[in-house]
Amino acid sequence: MYCLSEQQIDYILNDISARGVKLESLQLNLLDHVCCIIEQNLEADGDFEAFYERTIKTFYKSELREIEVEAINLLTYKNYYVMKKIMIISGSISTLLLCLGIVFKFEHMAGASFFLVTGISFFSLIFLPLVFTLKAKENQNVKDKLVIGLGTLAGILFSMGILFKVMHWPLANVMAVVALVIMLILFLPIYFFSGIRNAERKINTIVSSVLIIAVCGLFLALVRSPAGTRIQQLTEYSQFVRNQQILKTEQILLAHETKGETYNQEAAVLANKINALCEELKERILMGETGQKSIDNEYENQNTLLSDDWAWKYLEDGTDGNAKLEELKATIIKYNKVATDMNNNLQSLPIKLTVLEMRDKRIPNALNDFIQIQMLVTQNGRQLASLK
Amino acid sequence: MHMIYSSELIKGTLKTIVLKLLADNKRMYGYEITQRVKELTMDKIQITEGALYPTLHALEEDGLVTIETEYIGKRMRKYYSLSPTGKTKTQEKVSEFADFINTMKFLLDIKTLPA
Repeated sequence: MYCLSEQQIDYILNDISARGVKLESLQLNLLDHVCCIIEQNLEADGDFEAFYERTIKTFYKSELREIEVEAINLLTYKNYYVMKKIMIISGSISTLLLCLGIVFKFEHMAGASFFLVTGISFFSLIFLPLVFTLKAKENQNVKDKLVIGLGTLAGILFSMGILFKVMHWPLANVMAVVALVIMLILFLPIYFFSGIRNAERKINTIVSSVLIIAVCGLFLALVRSPAGTRIQQLTEYSQFVRNQQILKTEQILLAHETKGETYNQEAAVLANKINALCEELKERILMGETGQKSIDNEYENQNTLLSDDWAWKYLEDGTDGNAKLEELKATIIKYNKVATDMNNNLQSLPIKLTVLEMRDKRIPNALNDFIQIQMLVTQNGRQLASLK
Repeated sequence: MHMIYSSELIKGTLKTIVLKLLADNKRMYGYEITQRVKELTMDKIQITEGALYPTLHALEEDGLVTIETEYIGKRMRKYYSLSPTGKTKTQEKVSEFADFINTMKFLLDIKTLPA
């Protein structure tokens, strides 16, 4: 039995490390193992160095480092298979949820948005990143990894952008635009020019590039052009201006007819309050959209058009705008009660499906809701005046 | 008949072998495992260092074994023993392999085992 000295142990450890084994725990394992073999098999007066050289050679086929490579491979591939499994599961779940979401949405059933949100989130936040990680692992080339990364990023932003759009959440357009820019300006050129040079991948690259451009093009074909948007805004603004004029005229006519007298004091007070609240709310929206309190026939030149943004921007929960909206609703409920008690021919003011109840109303629609409420109040006023 | 099995045959069963040895012997270190396997199989199965240590590493990463270290003079020795999950895994692996043997017997139409 041989007795190893401290110097010899250091010598072995240094040699193992010099042969490229860098994992400390593996170094220690191999060191102990070699030492055991030497102690067991070398005679007390044997030649340490020669015996060590012979022993360590039995550990490997071409070099000692292959043990470390094998250890690392075992660990990586284990994760690889788990990730692949999760990728397939998350992919299946997300498509299932997405399909359910779409069916529910078209059937207008409760739960549609839950399925859409979870489905698209699964797809873009779990499935796509896993696809990226696995593909990046398979490709050693940095350029390939970059291309895969950019493609994944664009895919995530694109699908999240569409989700945000469907859910009426902010920043949807920004995400979709950034995704398209990444896809068409960064991803596509790198992908195309690196793939086209490789004879094996040439056809695949061309086909995929055509598909990418086609999908982006089809998507953009669905988007309203800036000129189209301007025409839409002009139409909506001019409709609003005309409606306002009609309302004003009607109100003036009513004032002429009644000459300040009222048939029913309570109804008149409520009608005035409703008018005042509607004016205030319209003003608030106009102010936010155009920076002006009232309409102007010069709107077209001044470029102060109404966008088709969401009205709740100005009527959000907890704001003064929302408080006014709630007050208006309460007043309308009271008014309707008084009106029906008084005369069955009077028209009830609408609440259902108007901005009073529906929070996802576009600005032009919300403004029209207010105007129609005021028009109905005015018409009821004339009816009451005729009863007198 | 005396034969040493090919490394391909050993590779797929190495985890099971190591786990079972650890189940029967509270704690073991690397060299001890190779020696015990040699002893038990009368040299028919010889585990190489190149296969054993990556496997031990993977078992550690999977949480199937726990490690205690002890100093033997200047060098450090790592003793491996089964964790609770390792114990269940050992049973699974052994019965899976027993089943595998039966299937192979049937598949390869082995009537009698060579003595």
